[in-house]
Amino acid sequence: MSIRSVIASIGPPLLFGVVFLAVWELIVAVFDIAPFTLPAPSAIWSAFTERFGQVVDETIVTGINALIGFLSGIVLGVLASLLTVRFRWIESLLTPLAVAVNAIPIVVIVPILNNMLFGTTSQVPRQLMVTLIVFFVVFVNVSRGLRQVSATHLELMRSYAATPSEILLKVRVPNAVGYLFTAMRIAAPLAVITAFVAEYFGGVQSGLATGVRNSLNGSKDVTWAYVIGASALGLTFYLVSSGLERLHGGSKNSG
Amino acid sequence: MSDSPDVHAVEIRGASMVFNDGGKGRVAALDDVDLAVRAAEFVSLIGPSGCGKSTLLRLIANLLEPTAGDVRVNGKPAEQARLDQDYGMAFQKSGLFEWRTVAKNIELPLELKGWDKRRRAERAQEMLELVKLPDRGEHRPWELSGGQQQRIAIARALASHPPLLLMDEPFGALDEMTREHMQSELLQICAATNTTVVFVTHSIPEAVYLSDRVVVMSAGPGRITDTIDVDLGRNRDDDTREEDHFYQKITEVREALRGLEVSAGARGIEDR
Repeated sequence: MSIRSVIASIGPPLLFGVVFLAVWELIVAVFDIAPFTLPAPSAIWSAFTERFGQVVDETIVTGINALIGFLSGIVLGVLASLLTVRFRWIESLLTPLAVAVNAIPIVVIVPILNNMLFGTTSQVPRQLMVTLIVFFVVFVNVSRGLRQVSATHLELMRSYAATPSEILLKVRVPNAVGYLFTAMRIAAPLAVITAFVAEYFGGVQSGLATGVRNSLNGSKDVTWAYVIGASALGLTFYLVSSGLERLHGGSKNSG
Repeated sequence: MSDSPDVHAVEIRGASMVFNDGGKGRVAALDDVDLAVRAAEFVSLIGPSGCGKSTLLRLIANLLEPTAGDVRVNGKPAEQARLDQDYGMAFQKSGLFEWRTVAKNIELPLELKGWDKRRRAERAQEMLELVKLPDRGEHRPWELSGGQQQRIAIARALASHPPLLLMDEPFGALDEMTREHMQSELLQICAATNTTVVFVTHSIPEAVYLSDRVVVMSAGPGRITDTIDVDLGRNRDDDTREEDHFYQKITEVREALRGLEVSAGARGIEDR
């Protein structure tokens, strides 16, 4: 990429960001808005740098919760879709259950897990919550990838006298790989949001959402400092997963 | 084996195929069809859309079971012939697996037969040379042109050296020039490997150019209405396409199909 094309691609959003922050700063100064209502970007930035260590600590807590839930959701989602495509009777058991569980709001599940199963000293309920959300996205997408194979491929495999396991391994699984990467790109930001929301509804006094909640009564610049941590975390998850998808997609264009 | 004179490569007796029998959308795709194909013979199935020619091909391949009647391939029941991989198959869509290299695509049927890696690689290279794409083994399918992809599909179908090749409009998606070129190459390959071919097509000149025998089918229900011997000799090339006899045969097939048009309304026949 030439310097000119780099400037052309990142220039406009960068300029927009700078103008946006400048206007924000200006409005806060001109209308003399109290930091309790809306702090200026400069105030947020100094709160962020002042509490940098703390923001990083809470970001790591939330990040680890999201990551553990993300990875276990992927593993469980892939396993479940493999089982349902290989053994049809499992599908009739698992799919309605997965849909039903996914329809329960996080707000309801987290307190239940906190109070009844794990107590309020554990991160496990939050990780489980993320697992559940990621599982569903992966399960639905990978199942589709395993099923939507070309009719010609299936006829060919039958003409080769292939067994169902061979068809699964040599046609269905390779066909589903692209769907898995798409599921990961969709699920990655969801994992961070879910971890964040799960923290918000009680449990251990740690994590970004706890930081936000505890700062709401005071000056809002601290709250916004945690928001910076949250955006950075969500962005990291998104960039890594879409990077992985692109890396995989880059090896085949049309297919 | 298919070499003995009394064993046909394909023998179909009284085959009928009914889809959704007893249901609302009952379709009699084939009705009491008899067909025998000798070893090393090239037979084309031609007819209007819905005449059951693709269904007939799938009965031979045992991708479908007939509702009634008997299908034997290489002297065995069709299912046994499929399990023994006695035939190779190619479709209108090349059906190459995009996550495999070209060579690995050709190796797939051999892999499923349990061949070891070295033997597979050797055979794949041999097949690549047969279809005149010796340097394309490590390419990905999408890096090849449509005609090249179809050649790889043929190489894959012939990889285990089956005595029979079943083709369902394999050149249907190619442009006219590529199509004629592929037809000549297919004839050379079949002559070199002594392969029997059953070939489904929409194109009259294609059927005449390729076949020893053109089987004309009619729709509703699918039946064989005519069989035309094409005595153009075995050494056919582009000059064959200019011969008067070639045109006579095209006219003969066209009239056999036109007879259907009067009775049933033939659709989807290409005059090219």
